[in-house]
Amino acid sequence: MEEESAIFEKIHEYLDRSAPLFFLIASPDGLISESNNFSKALTGNDLNGTKIQDLILDFSGNFDLKQLAGEPLQENLISIRTFDGLPQSVYFSFMEVDEYILVFGRLDIEELEKMRRDVLALNRDLNNITRLLHQKNAQLERLNEEKNQFLGMAAHDLRKPIGLITSYSEFLIEEVSSLLDSEQMEFLETVHSAAFSMKRLVDDFLDTSAIEAGKFELDLQPGNISDILRQSLKINSLLAAKKDVNIRVEGMDSIPSLMIDASKIEQVFTNLIANAVEYTDPETEVLITFCYEGQKMIVALRDSGPGIPPEEKDRLFKPFAKTSIKKPGKARSTGLGLAITRKIIEAHKGSIWVESVPGQGTTVYFSLPKD
Amino acid sequence: MITDQLYEKYLSSLLEGERKACIRIVQELVDQQIDLKHLYTDLFQKSLYTVGELWEANRITVAREHLATAITEGLLNLAYPQVFQGEKTSGNIVISCTANEYHQVGGKMVADIFEMNGWNGYFLGANTPVDQLLSFVDEVNPDLVGLSLSIYFNSQSLQNCIEAINADFPSQDIIVGGQAFRWGGKDILKQYRSVDFISTLEDLEKQIKDA
Repeated sequence: MEEESAIFEKIHEYLDRSAPLFFLIASPDGLISESNNFSKALTGNDLNGTKIQDLILDFSGNFDLKQLAGEPLQENLISIRTFDGLPQSVYFSFMEVDEYILVFGRLDIEELEKMRRDVLALNRDLNNITRLLHQKNAQLERLNEEKNQFLGMAAHDLRKPIGLITSYSEFLIEEVSSLLDSEQMEFLETVHSAAFSMKRLVDDFLDTSAIEAGKFELDLQPGNISDILRQSLKINSLLAAKKDVNIRVEGMDSIPSLMIDASKIEQVFTNLIANAVEYTDPETEVLITFCYEGQKMIVALRDSGPGIPPEEKDRLFKPFAKTSIKKPGKARSTGLGLAITRKIIEAHKGSIWVESVPGQGTTVYFSLPKD
Repeated sequence: MITDQLYEKYLSSLLEGERKACIRIVQELVDQQIDLKHLYTDLFQKSLYTVGELWEANRITVAREHLATAITEGLLNLAYPQVFQGEKTSGNIVISCTANEYHQVGGKMVADIFEMNGWNGYFLGANTPVDQLLSFVDEVNPDLVGLSLSIYFNSQSLQNCIEAINADFPSQDIIVGGQAFRWGGKDILKQYRSVDFISTLEDLEKQIKDA
């Protein structure tokens, strides 16, 4: 009898201190009088003096300690609150002994072990995919660099002959038009307009190639916006005349000299004016206004074209982004012009944005700092 | 630079499973543009060897060893933007763990060392079935195949893999390495003419440079 008692004492000691098993002694109404180390570690509390009912997450409201204690060999899957606030599922057995209820609870070791292995496998897979993504990304960057180099070289070689076609056809239109009949004149204008579009395309490619290669640099000098605008208007005059579009400028009288890269800002004006003229309805007006807001000069270019749907406005300044609004006639777009324009404006520490109502035209705004 | 003090701090964080502390240490080293080879050999390899020894001595559990390995694998990602930079014109290598071999971090580090030396390092991962490896070798026609073995009990699976490669691609050069050979056992490789053994990442680096 003494021997038996010593054995039970050792078992009790093991249960209390080391066993990976939830063990409680409670009264029939659930008040806990003894809790082992495992239960304290799992719940984060010394459970003595608390009630079993407060420990469990009883979602159904059917927890009946007396009834469970009457089925001593039955394992019941019950969730409890743990030390980190997260629930833990435990297989509980309740046994009524004299005036006490013994509570044993075990975790599903097999399930936990399987989960540990699954998590490790998922982690391995995830890291392998991440490695592959980095590898592919680096390969794509190298390919993109090669593409830009090719694009830059091809555009550079095309620029000079296209420039010659543009300037000679322009010279012919201005100087010898009186010698040509209307059909010959139309051919000549087509040659000029096609060469002009191609020149813009090639310039866009060169700019994109420079931007992507990180070689986009500004040569900032004090620049006269009026002179730049005049040059851009001249470049677009033929296009405007062909559609009978009047370009009106307001508020240009008091524009101060700004620190700008003149050739790049001319590119911005030329591009935005060409877009406005191309999209506006024939025999209408494009209005360019200048105003000042604090230390910023704001330019607005308003056309009376078809407008841009609100959901497409964010896409406008992204490279190769197309909108549902097609250019009228045979005009072609690379989808690069506005992306380059934004890059130029932002490099000048300015910003560019659009206001548009479908059917009522579009206004493109850009700002440049005065200092 | 990885000082003894920094290494100890990293190792204790790793053993405690403090992932964020490990990330901070490695990210700082990457930001300081440490030579990645030192990061791999003097921090990752060294700490994993210690973790392995502690496990063998029953001083840490297998779960803790797995956690340290998983954290280290995640840390490799911090180095990847630099690992994959630059031209990869020196050759192609396919690295794989054999069937039933679940320890992949060593093999992955080998693939990365090749990348750092201008190679394309394809990594197929843990427990790769032989037919899948053969089909990938057929697809990319690599200059080298690397096989990683961490647990010596899997050596039969390694031999099966070498023999399958030899049968399908008789002229294919193979390198083998891994912690399985830490206490010997390299003799099984002597019977294969096309197989070279690599003992450490430093050894590997030297061989790549000398090739």
